[in-house]
Amino acid sequence: MGRRYILLCFLGVMAGLTFSAIAQERTNSATSSNAATPAPTRVAGATPAAKPASPSSAATAEDAAAVERALRVEGEKRFRTNCGRCHMAPHKFPPRVMATAIRHMRVRAMITDEDMRLILHYMTR
Amino acid sequence: MRRFTNGTRRHYACSMVLALTLSTFLAFRSDAQSPQSEDVKPVPLFTGSAGFVTSFDGGEAHLGPIASPVLLIPLNKRWLLETRATFESDMVQEPGLSGFHGKVAKAVDYAQLDFVANPYLTVTVGRFLTPFGIFNERLYPVWIRNLQTDPLILPIGIGPSNASTGAMLRGGFKAHPQFDINYAVYFSALSTASPADSDRLAGGRAGIFVPHVRLEIGGSFQHLLQQERSNSFGFHAIWQPPAWPLDIRAEYAHSQRGSGYWVESAYRLSQLAFFHNEMRRVQLVARMQRFIAGILASDSLPAVNTKKFEFGLNYYFIDGLKGIGSYGRQFSADGNKNVWTLGLTYRFVLPLGHAGSE
Repeated sequence: MGRRYILLCFLGVMAGLTFSAIAQERTNSATSSNAATPAPTRVAGATPAAKPASPSSAATAEDAAAVERALRVEGEKRFRTNCGRCHMAPHKFPPRVMATAIRHMRVRAMITDEDMRLILHYMTR
Repeated sequence: MRRFTNGTRRHYACSMVLALTLSTFLAFRSDAQSPQSEDVKPVPLFTGSAGFVTSFDGGEAHLGPIASPVLLIPLNKRWLLETRATFESDMVQEPGLSGFHGKVAKAVDYAQLDFVANPYLTVTVGRFLTPFGIFNERLYPVWIRNLQTDPLILPIGIGPSNASTGAMLRGGFKAHPQFDINYAVYFSALSTASPADSDRLAGGRAGIFVPHVRLEIGGSFQHLLQQERSNSFGFHAIWQPPAWPLDIRAEYAHSQRGSGYWVESAYRLSQLAFFHNEMRRVQLVARMQRFIAGILASDSLPAVNTKKFEFGLNYYFIDGLKGIGSYGRQFSADGNKNVWTLGLTYRFVLPLGHAGSE
């Protein structure tokens, strides 16, 4: 009887996760198909508004700086929101240390891939 | 022709379901993660925490040195080998002897290999912290916990020595623009090899995190596949109101060996206008908890119904170094008592290689 419950629970959880994952995958595919969007801004939900390409290189540099700023702000926000759930948000660590720590936290605290990328971006710039 | 028994059929069905589910998840593009997340090559880390906590439990003094080293070894782009051991002692004054005496207890908390299969799934094998509730897996280290005493219900659902030995599927992903979902399902085999013992059990935990309001709620379920073959379940919640430096955490757990809850709030005095540099380092903590004894006895749980109220003050000297102090009053049929704690905790991080960007 107990095993039946486990099997049903397992099936229910997995079915829900599968549907969610498929939906998310579709969203990601649609987002990443936008070729005009620079690579860092492919992060769903954290995507700064993509600006049209400017003919001048100065404008392009400004666009890149704006995207970088937006990513950093979003990364800091995710950092405070996710890390602060369990402990005091730590000070910045060197990039390679942070890359390991964030992978550890991805497993331990089940941080999403998107949050992981944004936090890593923020912590390593 | 071979005839299947009911048990064999069930196992076969379970295996099929697991295989199908795994293949469904693994079928997602393995490059679904942006390569930018791996721009920086991770370095092996030697990290962990250490602490020295003195407690006065019902008038008896205890000295509690503890060290929990953690070794993190990233392998390739998707693998992580992680292990944590704990060395601790509970030193007390013994009659006829001077000073404090105690044995050092050693435990392998976890020694696991993680494979990040895709953005939705991480496969873990080895010895892992049992994901039942949140305290054991996420709040246990001394540098993280707000109060150094364990919640009364902590032993429910986590097995002996707080860990399981087997396999686990887990992950967290954005299911909706407004919320994330996280999950863990696991199976643990029986192990009697101390200090890596574990029960034979299966279970899962799922949670929803709403980043906008910083609220996480979830539930855990577990079925013991040995002894009384009972079910355990629990719920957890974490809320950090965005406008205030306040943490509210709560857990409820139920099993045949007992049930109960704890609710904890911690407030940083960073919003006070005076002595701001000092006050922002101060955290006030309060926790109330209740345990109701179950129909089966347990060595690790209280034998009778128990209530406990605790108040604490933490001072963060620097990032990773924390001074702690707390007072608690416990009420139970075995007698009421006061519990005081005073101590220091420290978190360290040492890269085992060049730590800068490549």
